[in-house]
Amino acid sequence: MEQQEEMAEYAVSFSSKLGFDYSEAFLENTTGFSYAIEEGQLNESARIEKSGIRIRLLKNGDFYTFSTNRINKDTIRRGIESYHPFNSVSTRLSHEKVVSSSYSEKEKEKVEPERMLEDLSSIDKEMQELTGIKYRSSYAGSSTWDAFYVNSEGTQIHAELPLLSSFFSVTLKNGHESRQRVFQYGSTGGYETFKIDTIKRQIREDSESLMNVMRNGVRLSKYELARIRKVVASPEIVGIAVHESVGHPCEADRVFMREAAQAGTSYLNKGNLGMQLGSEHVNIFDDPTIKGSEGFFVYDDEGVKARKKQLVKNGIQKELLTNREFAGLLGLKSNGSARSDSYSNEPLIRMSNTYLKKGSTNFEELIEEAGKGVYIKSFMEWNIDDTRSFSRYQGNEAFMIKNGEIGKPIKNYVLETSTKKFWSSVRMLGRDFKLYSGNCGKGEPMQGVPVSMGGPSVLLDMS
Amino acid sequence: MEYSAESIVKRLVSEGLDEAVVDVHSYRKSYLKIANSEVDSVVTKFEKSGSIFCSSKKRIATTNIDSFEGKAVESAIANLHMSISNAIPKEDYNGIAKGPFKYDHACGYDKRIANFDNSLMADMAYSAINTALANKATNVAGTLVMSKLDRHLVTSEKVDAHDSCAYSRLSLRLFNKDLSAQDIIASKRLENMHVERFAERIANLARYTRKKGKISSGKYDVIYTQSPGGGLFTNVNSMACMSSVESGSFLSGKLGKIIANRNIDIYDDGKEEELIGTGRFDDEGSPTKDTQLIDKGKFVNYLHNYSTARKYHTKSTGNAGLVDPVPQAMVFKHWKRKKDIHELIRSIDKGIVVTNTWYTRFSNYLTGDFSTVPRDITLFVRNGEVQFAIKQLGSINTVGIRISDNMLRMLDGTTYSADDSTQTSSWDIGGDYYIAPSVLVEGVKVTAANSA
Repeated sequence: MEQQEEMAEYAVSFSSKLGFDYSEAFLENTTGFSYAIEEGQLNESARIEKSGIRIRLLKNGDFYTFSTNRINKDTIRRGIESYHPFNSVSTRLSHEKVVSSSYSEKEKEKVEPERMLEDLSSIDKEMQELTGIKYRSSYAGSSTWDAFYVNSEGTQIHAELPLLSSFFSVTLKNGHESRQRVFQYGSTGGYETFKIDTIKRQIREDSESLMNVMRNGVRLSKYELARIRKVVASPEIVGIAVHESVGHPCEADRVFMREAAQAGTSYLNKGNLGMQLGSEHVNIFDDPTIKGSEGFFVYDDEGVKARKKQLVKNGIQKELLTNREFAGLLGLKSNGSARSDSYSNEPLIRMSNTYLKKGSTNFEELIEEAGKGVYIKSFMEWNIDDTRSFSRYQGNEAFMIKNGEIGKPIKNYVLETSTKKFWSSVRMLGRDFKLYSGNCGKGEPMQGVPVSMGGPSVLLDMS
Repeated sequence: MEYSAESIVKRLVSEGLDEAVVDVHSYRKSYLKIANSEVDSVVTKFEKSGSIFCSSKKRIATTNIDSFEGKAVESAIANLHMSISNAIPKEDYNGIAKGPFKYDHACGYDKRIANFDNSLMADMAYSAINTALANKATNVAGTLVMSKLDRHLVTSEKVDAHDSCAYSRLSLRLFNKDLSAQDIIASKRLENMHVERFAERIANLARYTRKKGKISSGKYDVIYTQSPGGGLFTNVNSMACMSSVESGSFLSGKLGKIIANRNIDIYDDGKEEELIGTGRFDDEGSPTKDTQLIDKGKFVNYLHNYSTARKYHTKSTGNAGLVDPVPQAMVFKHWKRKKDIHELIRSIDKGIVVTNTWYTRFSNYLTGDFSTVPRDITLFVRNGEVQFAIKQLGSINTVGIRISDNMLRMLDGTTYSADDSTQTSSWDIGGDYYIAPSVLVEGVKVTAANSA
């Protein structure tokens, strides 16, 4: 890494010599391994070794990025010289503090490949025993991410994080009916964060619940579905809603149309910032400082210190997620939201760990307060329009609420509503709280970054 | 000193492994982003990397490789030995394809694309932007991509093959006040990239009508233009791969059965030279093929690599990925055609024209149930005439409807196409390319935001 760091410093000094207004180099090394088991067969036994460098240059408002895995002076020089003026918009970066820093998280427990394979096999065997199991797959990967960032303003940052991720899926059948479910886990930590008993329990319980839906579930008529007013949404549903309908629309590059062609725009625009988005119970945060979480980082990919951001305060949209480009446009300091999925892609404005703040009500009280309605516990299919105004969460597990108690499962409940309606309907917040792992996609080329999303159970009054 | 692909394969076999595949990719690729009617930024990538697959006594292992210098290769080989020693046998693994093979697909590319530089890209982008603005676009967004890829594949089963490809793609999203339109033009030949004509067409689509209105939830006949319709049908190819079939696909158990309208043919084409994403060979060196998946509505073939083909007593279809079969490129044909999309529109009583979709998500791959969200200009048709652009949520610049369907039902309900097949792609499906016409799908369930 030391030799490579010299190359990063060389890239910045060579760019300065050529007269670029600003330059930065981001060097990355990722090493690790992964296994995938499908139907009891080891389908993938992979080693991961990835290293490369990204150089971003600014000249007369042109933002030019060059990346390569050939980390040598000749390739770097040719890459920098491949810039030709393209008369871009005048990009102005925000002024940020010059930093010299180093951070790392250590694995408390380091996993050997044999142990990971043994644990995956053990989970696979338990999945094989599930009632109604038709198909099963498991994946787990462990890696170390080592990065060095330097820019022409003098900032230098070293970072080292252990990354752990796992993914499981089941397809269950009951007669002609089938249901599918995926389980995703991740952390910036060592193998101590791989909670095998919790994973096994969740897969078993959710699979039993899905079988219950198929065996005992009822189909509500259109008339009955249209009359549902009270909905209790689980932390899983709240998490995806927070991420899709609040987190993404608060990304400044969507608000100001940079991502309009592919990743889409936002219902927010410069004319309605600060709009009333939800009820007074709605407080939503994006927080990369949660240690051990999937979205954890201390400095973003532009060398800016990461911090907790409040996106919605008492129902009112408050802060946007920004990088240096959009903070510069807004005359602000960046709030450290620039992330890339690899050295080979440009950093974009991204979420980290995004959640709805919890309240103080017991889950049972939420159900009791609902009286008559639906409890939606998990989803398989979801989607949202490109301004993030109109979303759908298919109730993989959903249950009737009758007389303040959870009743029969429902086979055909779908929560399909507008963003404003969803968040304006929040009446009570549970005191339970859970973050779910996810891989968030954005950009062209598509970049997937690890995030988490969640919150408490909530009571929605959709009247 | 750099190791060659051949020397890595030889080394792995000499160290006791049964099989080895080394796949080396070198590419140069640039993405030019257009935002707010300007060139926003350019990202250029230059990479040489590869993957290694090996097997020993039915144990398989893979690794990626970023450098072919001595130390990196030694490390990759050591990793593979460690992976193999930890692996458990994959009982249904039957080896890699046995070469040598003859490839009849030419290995050529357009040098003007291959030798691209950022100034050529900026010129093309500004031609598109200026044409769009001249045609009353109020905002222009998009991405222009230029790519050159060289590939060298060597296997322990007598394969030593080269391939090269270069292509260009422009995706444009044009706004006309509160309406927008988006489409893609892509080609392996620069002379086919008529960016000005393309920008004019998209700009005209964005201002096809200024009338806006709302619809109710219900069933509609839906006309999908090439990009969204073809994008949905590519699910047939991915779900026809034997690995998908084994893991639960809506095509599991459907071989030999009528699953689509009798006028539909679908191919998985690795040989169509103009189609981006096709090549001379698959990931184990088998020559790529043109495999018919649906023949007059009947599902006739699964997609195999050598190993799955042996398992099911058939032949490889040239669809090997590093481990599991993967599709090549989809080609969709419909034998009941109208002259153009206008004639399709005139043929329906109550329907919707969908020009772009995103967030297609399956609730169940086994049944094929999915939903997708139309974006950009979406037209309501009554008595064969376009009435208005659908806008369900007032001032918000979105369509506000959702399509809930099932892939098998959609295949059955696709009764006509227009005679306008073209090579296209969709961001929704991750950038794969396909050839498809506009299609008419009858009786599609649509939910509208105002009634949700």
